[in-house]
Amino acid sequence: MYSKKKNEQERNTKTNSINKIALRIKNHFQKNEMKFAWYLLIPVLSFFLILNVIPTLWMIGLSFYKYSLISAAGPKFVGIKNFIDILSNNVIWNSFSKTFLFVLMGVGIQTILGILLGFLFWNSDRLPGRRFALTFLFTPMIIAPVAAGTYFKLIYDPTLGIGNYFIKSFFGLVVNFLGDASYAFFSVLLVDIWMWTPFMILMTLAALGSVPEAELEAAEVDNLPWLKRLRYVILPHSKFIIMLGILLRTIESFKTMDLIYTMTSGGPGNATELIAIKLFREAFASFNMGESAALALITLLSAIAFTSIYLFILQYKEKKV
Amino acid sequence: MKKNFSKPLYYTLLWVTSLLFFLPVFWIFLSAFKTKEQVVQIPPDWVFMPTFQNILNMLKDAHFLQYLSNSFFISLTAVTIAILVSFLASYSFSRFKPKGTDFIMFVLLSIRMVPGAATILPMYLMYAFFGLKNTYVGMIFMYTMFSIPFSVWILKGFIDGISTKFDETALVNGGSHFHIMFKVVLPQIKPGIIAAFIFNIIFVWNEFLFNFIVGGNKVTTIPVALATGVVSSQGIEWTYVASLSLVYTLPLIIAIYFCQKYLLVGMTFGTVRGEV
Repeated sequence: MYSKKKNEQERNTKTNSINKIALRIKNHFQKNEMKFAWYLLIPVLSFFLILNVIPTLWMIGLSFYKYSLISAAGPKFVGIKNFIDILSNNVIWNSFSKTFLFVLMGVGIQTILGILLGFLFWNSDRLPGRRFALTFLFTPMIIAPVAAGTYFKLIYDPTLGIGNYFIKSFFGLVVNFLGDASYAFFSVLLVDIWMWTPFMILMTLAALGSVPEAELEAAEVDNLPWLKRLRYVILPHSKFIIMLGILLRTIESFKTMDLIYTMTSGGPGNATELIAIKLFREAFASFNMGESAALALITLLSAIAFTSIYLFILQYKEKKV
Repeated sequence: MKKNFSKPLYYTLLWVTSLLFFLPVFWIFLSAFKTKEQVVQIPPDWVFMPTFQNILNMLKDAHFLQYLSNSFFISLTAVTIAILVSFLASYSFSRFKPKGTDFIMFVLLSIRMVPGAATILPMYLMYAFFGLKNTYVGMIFMYTMFSIPFSVWILKGFIDGISTKFDETALVNGGSHFHIMFKVVLPQIKPGIIAAFIFNIIFVWNEFLFNFIVGGNKVTTIPVALATGVVSSQGIEWTYVASLSLVYTLPLIIAIYFCQKYLLVGMTFGTVRGEV
């Protein structure tokens, strides 16, 4: 905005001298403005510095030390030993691959279900009590994961749970959803899918809402087949928001912690020990601060990689618009 | 596609879908009105006399009231502070574009992408070192930081959408920067403020890990009480879990009912500004 003002000023001034004076005044204001701009940033930056930069540096430093909270020995410098230990530890690779599987399957199923149901809800404007219906639909994603996780323990319970009651009356068998290592992972995944499919429905609804009415009508007039309509009319407009939804879910899914913590705490054994749980257990059950710091750092770098992809796509969109 | 449906059938289908997703939550809420025996009874009583004893007991519990007021106090204060400072920052980012704007925005967002378990460790050490564990200040600041990234992103998107003509007019008429920010720009980005508020409240309200690790008995919020305080000598107190969940989720459900159209704005960090 200020460059525009500058142009106007320059155009309007006739003589050089006035020009110079104007320039000086402008510079003065701009300098002050920049100062003001930074003043406005002070609160956010200080929060950021104190609660993020310092802890992160602390953590980076700690990752090169052997330090246990429960032993009397102080921190001892060990170089990159922690990182080597982690990268050569099968349990941690197992956690990473479980997390990968969890994210891939969870987000995949949520996306497919969400898109299908999103299409179902498309043009539901006249649905009686639509606001209530949508509130009910979105409840799974606003209930505290801790609450849902704790209560699903009861629903999944082999003897006391309603889930097993139904399975027993229909199929005549009892499934130990959370206690059996071969089922636990999928049982947790199922709750995650229940919680977050509504999110993908919401995103799909938003995406479909961004398709221009006129183009849809044109397709209707041309009597375009359904598949072509999807490909040439709907997808080009809705692609971005759906992609955004998938990415957001990927990032959030990568962080899944409270749900699993309350349902299985990573067990039985380490059947549901995703990386966030592993980190938590390492730090606050074994109190291996050095090694957990190194693991946290590795996780942090993977998360930053995710963010970069996300922002890359965002900018890609901005350029196109 | 939808034209093949008859309208009533289509609407029934939509309602059934919505209610199916709500069903587990409904089951939790229902348990709040059952007796201890009824909750774990298999097969369940499909029709039963509702009892309000669980909720009454809970309301009489001094701990519960403290947890609930902690939840309200910490989340509302933290998000309010976050939105205020984020507004200042996003105005600066949007209007003056100081050097490194893109980079700062990126870093802000990326910290929000990191699993809590990765950041909680250094936080824990730092809080222990400065004696901030189990203090309101410590909790509020942590959640403020937690809410800043999304708020900045959402609000910047909104301020970008307000023409600078407004600022220029105000400047020419002798308005100060603060006048412009609070009297000219702020009233125009109300939807953004509400969206940022709702979106961050949902996160902070349900947050468990940070309160669990760096909190303590004084600042315990309900999610932590839910995860840790529900085990008695007879196992988990299911009726307590259920009534706690009910009381705790209702405010959010009501908020979502009234602010539905802002939900989407928050979910996409303000990059999408449509209605559902």
